[in-house]
Amino acid sequence: MDTAIEFKDVTYCYPLTKTPAVKNLSFKIEKGKFYGVIGANGSGKTTLCALMRGFAPDFYKGELSGQVLVNGKSTIDYENGELALRIGYVFQNPFNQISGVKDSVFEEIAYGLENLGVEPLEIEERVVTIMEKTDILHLAEKNPFELSGGQQQRVALAAILVLGPDIFVIDEPTSQLDPEGTESIFEIIKAMKKEQKTIILVEHKVDLLAESADEILVMANGELIKKGSTQEVLSDIFLMEQGIQLPQMAILSNKLKQLGIGLPVTPITEAQATEVLQKIIKKKEGIQ
Amino acid sequence: MWIEKFQIKKTNRVAALYPTTKLWIVFFYSVCSLLLSTVNIMGIPLLIIPWFLVLPILATLSGVISQFLKAMKKAAIIAIFIFLVQTFIIPGGDLLFHFGILYIYSDGLHTGVSLSVSILNIAGAFVWLFQTTEMKELSRALEDKGMNYKASYILLSTMQMIDLMGRNSKIIMNAQRARGVETQGNLFVRAKAFFPSMVPLILSAIISSDDRALALSSKGFEIKCKKTHILNVEYSGNETLAMVICIIITSIVAIGRVLLWILP
Repeated sequence: MDTAIEFKDVTYCYPLTKTPAVKNLSFKIEKGKFYGVIGANGSGKTTLCALMRGFAPDFYKGELSGQVLVNGKSTIDYENGELALRIGYVFQNPFNQISGVKDSVFEEIAYGLENLGVEPLEIEERVVTIMEKTDILHLAEKNPFELSGGQQQRVALAAILVLGPDIFVIDEPTSQLDPEGTESIFEIIKAMKKEQKTIILVEHKVDLLAESADEILVMANGELIKKGSTQEVLSDIFLMEQGIQLPQMAILSNKLKQLGIGLPVTPITEAQATEVLQKIIKKKEGIQ
Repeated sequence: MWIEKFQIKKTNRVAALYPTTKLWIVFFYSVCSLLLSTVNIMGIPLLIIPWFLVLPILATLSGVISQFLKAMKKAAIIAIFIFLVQTFIIPGGDLLFHFGILYIYSDGLHTGVSLSVSILNIAGAFVWLFQTTEMKELSRALEDKGMNYKASYILLSTMQMIDLMGRNSKIIMNAQRARGVETQGNLFVRAKAFFPSMVPLILSAIISSDDRALALSSKGFEIKCKKTHILNVEYSGNETLAMVICIIITSIVAIGRVLLWILP
């Protein structure tokens, strides 16, 4: 698979500090894959995202050593704003992503296209398509500031999706949302995955990541301590010692193991757990 | 057509004037006000008082008279306050009135009338402008006339931010009230609640500004290209006539003022 983003021995310090926020990062993000990023608070997840998008060091300043390459080109070498076309970035707080100059959701989503100089007729077509995909067409005429957190986050995602980048960096989009809002955001992310977009999603809700991510990156104290397939990483019970939350099913499996009921594989999703337990029960019934 | 839904349509011919034309009207009106405030009749700039009537006429022609009068009530309170303070405080010239400790001198009356009516005139002109023009129309028109898109963004977002901060302050006030801070009552109680309400409001605005800047960057704000707009601001066709009327009136006022100055 082609590489979308590559970190080459990256260490980064924010201004006025000598302690690196992230250090010795070397890994590749492949095109068309969905990556989940997990780690405790302060482990460097947001800095990792800022480095991918080029906000660090361009906006935050600070000291960067090593290279972050997006489509083979260093983020430092991209012209002003050019990365917006390559990488879509969605923030934690949906409220702060609203431009503040548009009165309606439709205009808010169209704003990015206006900035790119897209013709109005094409803007209309693209905005309507994205609003349908993200199920917010009914909100088109509403003021973005008057929406609920979940709706605002959907608008924020749509406003970035409409620009058509191939890579998405999404930093804890559901941290301020209720379960319903979280579910709706994950539906959109799953749809993006189907369209072969490259997705890097920072998320604490590992149960949801377990269901849809292809790979997981685990951050701790500014370092990448593990990277691998979702099954491999989220079933690694030793990560709990690093303060990493694992899926409920993996924790349950570990507890069963401690009680002497070992499962053939550690399930990380409800579906997997159901399947494993069904097999065990059927096997036992067969024996009896 | 979705874009059609977001266009601003006006049926009134005055209100439908192009935003920058209305801005010119405000400018010419203000120039006339300043010129007339220098013409004294019996030592007082009396001409600016009838001149103020132009604004209600303009508001009536624009179909916004009731909103205009409502907004001007607030401006009138400030103008009356300034008039009283200036009139009773500034000494100089002839003593016109005396009651107890209150003295009105001609210089004080002159300054009071000049300042308060000028404030009413200029504030009224802007009230008329913003009651007939949405901020996004004005900013779009200014951008069309060559204003930088970044300046246009700042103008528009600042106006929206006032509204937003007002909304946020209510949320913070409610939160502080829930924590036991008294926010309602006499002036002293309200003053005490001022800091616990203002500090989170200002701090949250500062903290969110980084995110907003980055969010703008994510929406291609920095990309150097010709920006497009889904909002179209169109000329009504009466702009030239409006400008001609403004120039004629301003010229008459200016020439009259110069003649009064030159002639003995």
